[in-house]
Amino acid sequence: MQHILIVEDSPTMRALLTSALEGLDTPVKVTEAESGFEALRQLPRNSYDLIVTDINMPDINGLELISFVRNNSSYRTIPLVIVSTVGSERDRDKGVGLGADAYLVKPFEPDELRDVVRDLLTRPRRNE
Amino acid sequence: MAKKKTTRRRRSTKADREFVSEAEEIVERMRNDLADLTDQCSGSGEVDPELLNGIFRSAHSLKALAGLFGFEPIQELTHRLEDILDGLRLGRVALGMSALTLIEEAVNVFGSLLQRVDDAESLAGAGEQIADLTNRIEAATNEAPPEVGEFDSLDLDASLLRALTEYEEHRLRENLERGRHIVIVESTFEIISFEEGLSELSTAIREIGEVLSTLPAPGETPESQIRFSLLAATDLSLNELSSRLNFPSATVHSVGRAQPSPELASGAAPPVQAACEAPPEPPLQPTAPEMVHDSENLQSLKSISDTVRVDIRKLDELMNLVGELVVQRGALGDIVSRLLSDSKTTRIGSDLSKVYKAFDRKLKGLQASVLDVRMVPLRQVFEKASRVLRGLRRELDKNVRLEIRGADTELDKLIVEELVDPLMHTVRNALDHAIETPEERIASGKDPEGRVKIEAFQRGNHVVIAVSDDGRGIDTALLRVKAESRGLVGADEILSQQEMLDLVFLPGASTRDVVTETSGRGVGMDVVRSNVTALGGVVDIVSTPGRGTTISMTLPITLAIIQSLIIRVAEQRFAIPLNSVLETLLIEASDIQRSEGRELLNLRGDALLLRRLASEFQLDVPASDGRQFVVVLGMGDLRVGLLVDSLEGQQDTVIKPIQGPIQSVDGIAGATELGDGDPVLVLDVASFVDGSTRGREAA
Repeated sequence: MQHILIVEDSPTMRALLTSALEGLDTPVKVTEAESGFEALRQLPRNSYDLIVTDINMPDINGLELISFVRNNSSYRTIPLVIVSTVGSERDRDKGVGLGADAYLVKPFEPDELRDVVRDLLTRPRRNE
Repeated sequence: MAKKKTTRRRRSTKADREFVSEAEEIVERMRNDLADLTDQCSGSGEVDPELLNGIFRSAHSLKALAGLFGFEPIQELTHRLEDILDGLRLGRVALGMSALTLIEEAVNVFGSLLQRVDDAESLAGAGEQIADLTNRIEAATNEAPPEVGEFDSLDLDASLLRALTEYEEHRLRENLERGRHIVIVESTFEIISFEEGLSELSTAIREIGEVLSTLPAPGETPESQIRFSLLAATDLSLNELSSRLNFPSATVHSVGRAQPSPELASGAAPPVQAACEAPPEPPLQPTAPEMVHDSENLQSLKSISDTVRVDIRKLDELMNLVGELVVQRGALGDIVSRLLSDSKTTRIGSDLSKVYKAFDRKLKGLQASVLDVRMVPLRQVFEKASRVLRGLRRELDKNVRLEIRGADTELDKLIVEELVDPLMHTVRNALDHAIETPEERIASGKDPEGRVKIEAFQRGNHVVIAVSDDGRGIDTALLRVKAESRGLVGADEILSQQEMLDLVFLPGASTRDVVTETSGRGVGMDVVRSNVTALGGVVDIVSTPGRGTTISMTLPITLAIIQSLIIRVAEQRFAIPLNSVLETLLIEASDIQRSEGRELLNLRGDALLLRRLASEFQLDVPASDGRQFVVVLGMGDLRVGLLVDSLEGQQDTVIKPIQGPIQSVDGIAGATELGDGDPVLVLDVASFVDGSTRGREAA
């Protein structure tokens, strides 16, 4: 079963992301991290097939997390989706520049998330 | 890539509750942070950028939540709120009291809307008010153009620069403009335990500068190690910084400095702060130094991942079950002793006794854990009090400094909740009635700035919460006049100073004639006392005219399971909560001294007032002439001795409230079941100890 890591500090948003992903046709396993630090701890524990991350978080933010993932030989190829809000365009674009594969703007429909995720999970991994 | 849509999605009621509870938490946090920011702004005029950024992040989270909420005006409001805060933290909007007041208003409006999430009509009715507020915020957000600026002069790794958020870039720029050194502090940690070390390092850097960004990178063994590069700004030189940091595993290197400004002396300096536009108002001291302690950073980091939120009712249920088990254990203990005392069953008795002992140990552990889970620090209540006080300070135009101590003291959640009202009331009283105006204070040779102190500490099995002020003190003569005019005290009654002070607890005994919005009239210390008494606590009051007043509430740490002393009087058994029993004495009838109709005992040089439990409850028993037991009860500073026939030992008891006619009998707090299944009444210690000092009823 494919495994998705959700990094989001808002419990409500986390619950929504998880329930949206649980609605995928092919079942996936979801792990939730409530901070960037928690994500750093989670990464070595499992082999993830996709990361969905918020940008604006305490301790380390989404950009710092993306930079870490893309600079680490073990995680470099994991597809990454940013979820952000209107108004954070500059930071979001920087995230894309750092190597995020897609972004969604909150509030989004569960189907939008599922479409993006389905696409990234079936597409061949990046090989940079 | 997906685009923004504003359509609504359906949410379950569970998600609804989660939304409201999360939003309420954020609103509460914003209120606290805003109050701190307002203090900084009106105080030194310099504000902590991290505080401002924290408020922005809260607004940002609210906006994301409001997107799910589906009520257009609220979405718009949170949007504007985030905009203005974004402008403030990025230095594009001038920070001043007017902006802060607007933000505070918006947060309050949002908070009140949360209360009526389910009431569509009421929400719709608020639309216009929200729209007006939204417009005003928008008008205040006339943004300066975004900053541009290159960091070419800095010897910075491109990968680090690429990962900086807009805000981090702004802080970097701001620090460069101030001519500070920009450095990178690097350290490698084990991935399983990096948080503690990293938090220590960040805290150390914050003492001498500002952390601008925390960038993680793989360590030498990427699977198990993690390296952090902290981009920081400081006034110290590289050498000074290295020696001040004293962090052996960290390496520090400089990446540059722009426009060195000669007027900045080297040496430790606070972080470069965003300036606040407002002209300094009368100095308001930052409150509660304990609340912004460094160790809290560490704590809050930890709590992010290790906390579970539980409905208090679930804990009550758990507590009840443990309570039932405790009673069952008593019954089991009885069976064990019966088996052991009969020679035919000694063997099985001793087997069962071993099992019983093991069970007993486990149950005690369970009990302690369940109790521990219910304990919460007083911090939140104190923060609330400090917010109330800050609000009042502005309203009443009084100059007061609030000190808070012991915010980490823990109490049962239930008690903490019930404590909010009496505490708020006491704090309001202190500010409204006790603290004089600055002019009055100067006239009586006092510091124009008044002081109110809220303090909590544990004393034995109780927690004492004391509110003290250095105000005018209580006018006991006036109190007496009022009490006489209400017929509460006879004109010829002789009262001691303490007894006069205690008149403040009688209903309607306020000494000020002016009705203020803050304290009102008629709602007084009597309410505070009845609230505290309902929790099994007592209120003490000490006041010196012209010097100030201290009101202490002494409360049991928990109400759930308590150890009781079982005593017997006139063939009836009673339970006395052990946490209020100071000692027990065996005395001769001849040790009792009589004075003015009271019975006293000389206890190591102090006169202890004795009360006969039998006569208190009008139980039919002749006063014994032989040896008697005295149970010395204490709460706060009050003491009383209860004369009883015999002591039967200690037991864990679960106090249950009583329904029906004896519900309101003075001196009874509730009932409990003993191990043998017999119900017994539990004495209300508070009513015994404070009734005795008032001397309203001679024994």
